[in-house]
Amino acid sequence: MKIKKLLLMLVFLMLGMLISFGHVQAAGDNYLQKVKQKGTLVVGTSADYPPYEFTVKKSGKTNYVGLDVDVAKKFAKNLGVKLEIKNMDFDSLLVALETHKVDMVIAGMNPTPERRKSVNFSQLYYRGNQYMLINKKDAAKYKNIHSFKGQTIGAQTGSLQYQLVKEQMKGNSIKGLAKLNDLVIALQSGKVNAVAMEEATAKAFAENNRSLKVINPHFDVTSSQTGSAIAFPKGADSMVTAANKTIKQIKQQNLINKKYIPQAGKYMTSNTKKSTMLNYWTYFAKGIEYTLLITAVSVFFGFLLGTLFALMRLSHVKIFHLIAVWYIEFVRGTPLMVQVMFVYFGIGTIIQSLPALVAGIIAVSLNSGAYVAEIIRSGIQSIPVGQTEAARSLGMSQREAYRYVVIPQALKNIWPALGNEFITLIKESSIVSIIGVGDLMYQMQLVQAATYKGVLPIFIAMVLYFIMTFGLSNVLGHFERKMKHA
Amino acid sequence: MLKDKEQTIIEVQQLKKSFGDDVVLKDISETVKAGQVICVIGPSGAGKSTFLRCLNVLEEPTSGKVLFEGSDLTGIKEEELNHLRQKMGMVFQSFNLFPNLTVLDNLQLAPLKVRRLSADQAQKQAHKLLTQVGLADKAAEYPASLSGGQQQRVAIARALAMDPEVMLFDEPTSALDPEMVGEVLKVMRDLAHSGMTMVVVTHEMGFAKEVADQIWFMADGYIQEKGKPEDFFAHPKTERAQDFLSKILS
Ligand SMILES: Nc1ncnc2c1ncn2[C@@H]1O[C@H](COP(=O)(O)OP(=O)(O)OP(=O)(O)O)[C@@H](O)[C@H]1O
Ligand SMILES: [Mg+2]
Repeated sequence: MKIKKLLLMLVFLMLGMLISFGHVQAAGDNYLQKVKQKGTLVVGTSADYPPYEFTVKKSGKTNYVGLDVDVAKKFAKNLGVKLEIKNMDFDSLLVALETHKVDMVIAGMNPTPERRKSVNFSQLYYRGNQYMLINKKDAAKYKNIHSFKGQTIGAQTGSLQYQLVKEQMKGNSIKGLAKLNDLVIALQSGKVNAVAMEEATAKAFAENNRSLKVINPHFDVTSSQTGSAIAFPKGADSMVTAANKTIKQIKQQNLINKKYIPQAGKYMTSNTKKSTMLNYWTYFAKGIEYTLLITAVSVFFGFLLGTLFALMRLSHVKIFHLIAVWYIEFVRGTPLMVQVMFVYFGIGTIIQSLPALVAGIIAVSLNSGAYVAEIIRSGIQSIPVGQTEAARSLGMSQREAYRYVVIPQALKNIWPALGNEFITLIKESSIVSIIGVGDLMYQMQLVQAATYKGVLPIFIAMVLYFIMTFGLSNVLGHFERKMKHA
Repeated sequence: MLKDKEQTIIEVQQLKKSFGDDVVLKDISETVKAGQVICVIGPSGAGKSTFLRCLNVLEEPTSGKVLFEGSDLTGIKEEELNHLRQKMGMVFQSFNLFPNLTVLDNLQLAPLKVRRLSADQAQKQAHKLLTQVGLADKAAEYPASLSGGQQQRVAIARALAMDPEVMLFDEPTSALDPEMVGEVLKVMRDLAHSGMTMVVVTHEMGFAKEVADQIWFMADGYIQEKGKPEDFFAHPKTERAQDFLSKILS
């Protein structure tokens, strides 16, 4: 009897352990199986890094190309699954991996010890040298890492180059930016004196900008770190093993040097040939479409939420009032960028299939709701109590007084403020580009990457934003005047 | 329309009202009979407005009862109160017209939404009432384009559109320029002559003298004295009333 009891306890104990630990362990065995079940390999990358990964336009569609994309394709083919590419900021890649937004990350990423702490890496599939991009006029001044004394060096944040500059060029200040394109603009405008980047990328930029030049500054690179590997979630050993098989095959056939890089080179030059902005109007059009879509949907839900929270805040029920007050204060007291990232990565851990677009819309709507709530509340409070009293004295209930007397007047008063919120959202929604939603800001970055032109796409995007906000403000002004006359 | 003169419309029993520690109405018990016109007068801060607002429970009495045609308005269900309030029209010092609606819609809103008249009935009635207050030609205007006197007449018509049993006026002419007071008082006088039961808080002693059946003199939260206007104005009994009258008549 006693033994039976003990056994039972043991079984429960083990069950408990299985439940608490099993999550990690079982998943480790499951990763490969899961991908095969899904039938798609979701790959995260940051497509502004030729020849590793970048975009080309082919019959109006954006294609991801580059040697990393070819490696990923090969891997997917070996697994017998389809390949899906998710493009995002380099900085967001590992978070996306940890939160299972993607199955793997391939982005010319160096397997540094820091990174190894949070993810698993495959073997190296390619080794490139670390170069420096400089302005041609400085070519005589700069020879190697020691000739940059006191100068500012640019590097992509979170990249190996950033680490190298930090460790081996101690006398220099370092400027980190998320996008290579922005770094190149900084270089051309003299904000930085050189940009550390991978050999092939540096050469691509130099080829496309006459004023730029490439040098090899001879960084001291221990071989274990210089090279690119594929990143997988911690514990995804099954995937690592499978990837190493593919990498071995690629190396044996020397596919990268013989096939992938020359192919990428062809795309890069073809991109350059047609790098007038007109060729990229579909990018901008798509961006406008997304920006307007995100804004319109967010304005709609923001208005519903705002009305709800405004009424809650004005409610005499204490708990409603408190919830609304805290919500409004909290949302208005934190940056939209953090909210967007929190919704995408935070809520994304619970609902893993949450698309970036939906996450962006949710975040912007939640944010707008708080601001609209305050607009509506002040609108309602600006209506004199005499109006409610007159309505009540005519026999209306509190609800009817609100519905027929207070709200219509409040709406009329706050219409300009609501319109302003709409216009603000067009601009603010540009933040969603950081999680890879294809809005105007994001498309602008794609055009930058594809054309190696830094400033012109920014200028075009800026003008387009202005046309949207100015147009909208005119339309709203028209309705406002109409309502005043009514 | 004309009621039995003896029928009690409003009965107030031991009405008390305080705001926090501030006791504004101390102990009031009075009745208003059908067809009566009561003018409530008294110094500023006496509690006249508060008293009037307690009659239709815009202000919840602290204790005591307010009976309207026999039913106690304190402590009844919200819906019942809303229903009974329709029968007690109220006119405010500051008009409180709905600025986003035309004059016609001001008169139609509550009849349509609360009384649930048909659009046709509501419109017919609105036009009839506008004619009654002499503003038939202003139906399509917005309140902002009317003079103060015209706005107050619209407000009276709006209250009448609910077909009330009694009309409560809180200093309906104090916010008006002097030249507009007459037109509003004329409408009120006509209303009184048509047999409407009215409780009027006013500083217009001439109107009170001429139209009121009874004067209620209020001070310090009590009705200090009441009587027929000819008696009250000629021979006020209390010192407070004598004092008050000597001040405003000098
Ligand atoms: N909502 C309120 N909250 C607090 N105190 C109030 C409120 N309404 C009125 N009072 C106070 O009650 C007292 C009586 O006010 P009330 O408006 O009834 O006087 P009144 O006789 O109408 O005066 P007036 O001739 O100036 O209109 C005043 O002291 C006023 O400050
Ligand atoms: Mg008053």
